[in-house]
Amino acid sequence: MAQQTTTPTIQLKGVSKFFGNIIALKDVSFKAHKGQVTALLGDNGAGKSTLIKVLSGVHIPDEGDILIDGIPTTFKTPRDAAVLGIGTVYQDLALQPLMSVTRNFFLGREISKGVFLDMNRMNEITRTEMAKLGIDVADPTQPIGTMSGGQRQTLAIARAIYFGAKVLILDEPTSALGQKQQLEVLRTVNQVREMNEIAIIFITHNDMHARLIGDRYTFLNRGRVLADGDRDEIDMDNLRALMAGGAELAELESEFQNTST
Amino acid sequence: MSGTDERIRQVGLVQSFVARPELGSVFGLAIIVITFMIMTSISGTFSAMWTNPIGIQAWVELAAFVGILAIGASLLMIAGEFDLSIGANIALAGHSFALLLIFGVPVAPAILLTFVELAFLGFIIGVIVVRTGLPSFIVTLGFWFASRGFAVFLSQTLLNQSRLSVKPQLKAPAGGGEDPTIIDNLFAFDKGFGLPFDAEVYYFAILVIMVALMLQKSRFGNWIYAAGGDPTAARAVGVPVNRVKISLFMLSACLACLLGVLTVMTSGASDPKAGDFRELHAIAAAVIGGCALTGGYGSVIGAVLGAFIFAIASRGINFVPFIDNNMFRVMLGLLILGAAFLNQFLRNRVLKG
Ligand SMILES: Nc1ncnc2c1ncn2[C@@H]1O[C@H](COP(=O)(O)OP(=O)(O)OP(=O)(O)O)[C@@H](O)[C@H]1O
Ligand SMILES: [Mg+2]
Repeated sequence: MAQQTTTPTIQLKGVSKFFGNIIALKDVSFKAHKGQVTALLGDNGAGKSTLIKVLSGVHIPDEGDILIDGIPTTFKTPRDAAVLGIGTVYQDLALQPLMSVTRNFFLGREISKGVFLDMNRMNEITRTEMAKLGIDVADPTQPIGTMSGGQRQTLAIARAIYFGAKVLILDEPTSALGQKQQLEVLRTVNQVREMNEIAIIFITHNDMHARLIGDRYTFLNRGRVLADGDRDEIDMDNLRALMAGGAELAELESEFQNTST
Repeated sequence: MSGTDERIRQVGLVQSFVARPELGSVFGLAIIVITFMIMTSISGTFSAMWTNPIGIQAWVELAAFVGILAIGASLLMIAGEFDLSIGANIALAGHSFALLLIFGVPVAPAILLTFVELAFLGFIIGVIVVRTGLPSFIVTLGFWFASRGFAVFLSQTLLNQSRLSVKPQLKAPAGGGEDPTIIDNLFAFDKGFGLPFDAEVYYFAILVIMVALMLQKSRFGNWIYAAGGDPTAARAVGVPVNRVKISLFMLSACLACLLGVLTVMTSGASDPKAGDFRELHAIAAAVIGGCALTGGYGSVIGAVLGAFIFAIASRGINFVPFIDNNMFRVMLGLLILGAAFLNQFLRNRVLKG
């Protein structure tokens, strides 16, 4: 948490994104540092997914700048972003359930020796990379469908890191999982943080998870930044209210109190 | 990081043999072979089917014919697609080749042109499937009618005959020529070179080895599984799903072409009924061999074993007079259902670990 003086690994300055007459993002500034988890929070439709799509090259912003390591950059495609080290793990994970762990890890970027795949080397790398995130894959030739949801999430993360991600974007990585597996994913995220080389952007609707894992928080509300700051600058007791878009929850609370009395 | 790190959690082992998609067909083949060995022993035809060269040729050559098609059918099925047009394409290839010969094109360029034509046809089928998003079942059903129809239409219009004889144009064994060329030898050795089988058996053997290696050990093989398993996920990691599928439709059409050309070269004529129903036999072999119709799962070796099961059952019935010929179809139908059921069961086991 001491990197505040250093250049953010990725930064948005005054970014806006419009879809026709819908203002999905307006004048949004955002930053994420390596070795930190930046929690991106906000209610449904607040613009979180749009923001990460801007970061990962899916959407081109209508206004504002993207800076990587302080250098202004433009992405035209997700490939451009991937080449510059933006690794996005979408909720469906882009995995093949019937294919082996190793084949999934290297799908689309296989290592060959001559005309044939170098399975030994790929198995070895898969095991090592998974072990770095705390999962011992005894048999990397087993189909990935046999792994738990949390382990699959870890595989998608390990893959992004191995292929050079310095920004790791996780869009609601825990939402489809059971309690135990949610914790497994948080553990993986924590392990990535401890590598101290990767900036993690973590989207969640779960305030407990945000509280647990966040070093930095950005709250979006209707396309604008509602609040923004480090752990010690944010009123943690008010986290849930901020996530829901600020004032509304308090209003609702008083409304309920009025009707119940 | 070492195994002693308490944060490292273990991922269990799966009995890898259960995970093999061809497991079902290994059992199937064993059952069929044993059944027919017993039945031929009872009817006193054991040696006629299992040791006599002519008896062995009968089922090995059929297995090769169906097996060559099943190679293409299984790859397509693994990639999540389907090709009903292969049988009809055999007739189209045979007729195209025969017409070229009749109009004076020498054998070698005629073979080449026929392959170009069929590869192009496969390309068109593939492009239609990936561009329109229509199920390949429907698209290739269209070509099932169109290919054979077009072949017969051409020969009727140009020569006013539907069966084309090319004996005079061939030096190959079928033409009775005394000085066969290399091409003749390559495409038409009918038990030539002192070898016991028709040409398709050797092509089959070579193709099986090449394609099985490609599927298991090359990056293209990896992409075939991914294209059928989850195409969206495959695209997300940069697999050129459409290109993979189009190539496989081209391969499938070229395999039909090979059989069309071989048939004409060895028999000296192109029959408009050539390859009839073979698409269904090839698909049956692929299904018996463990390919999932939903894509993403299967093996070429399994499909090959499936082709042998089909061929042994199909030819074997002639050696067992006490079984009615129609009963054979009933048996084959049950075999396909049983295999599909077993394979689904195995596949679910794979996912449960
Ligand atoms: N491609 C698009 N075309 C038109 N409108 C869009 C598009 N993508 C997003 N929007 C709109 O932009 C707004 C922000 O959507 P976004 O998906 O970024 O929200 P979110 O914060 O990710 O919500 P959730 O928590 O439900 O995932 C919404 O009003 C949404 O309808
Ligand atoms: Mg979203």
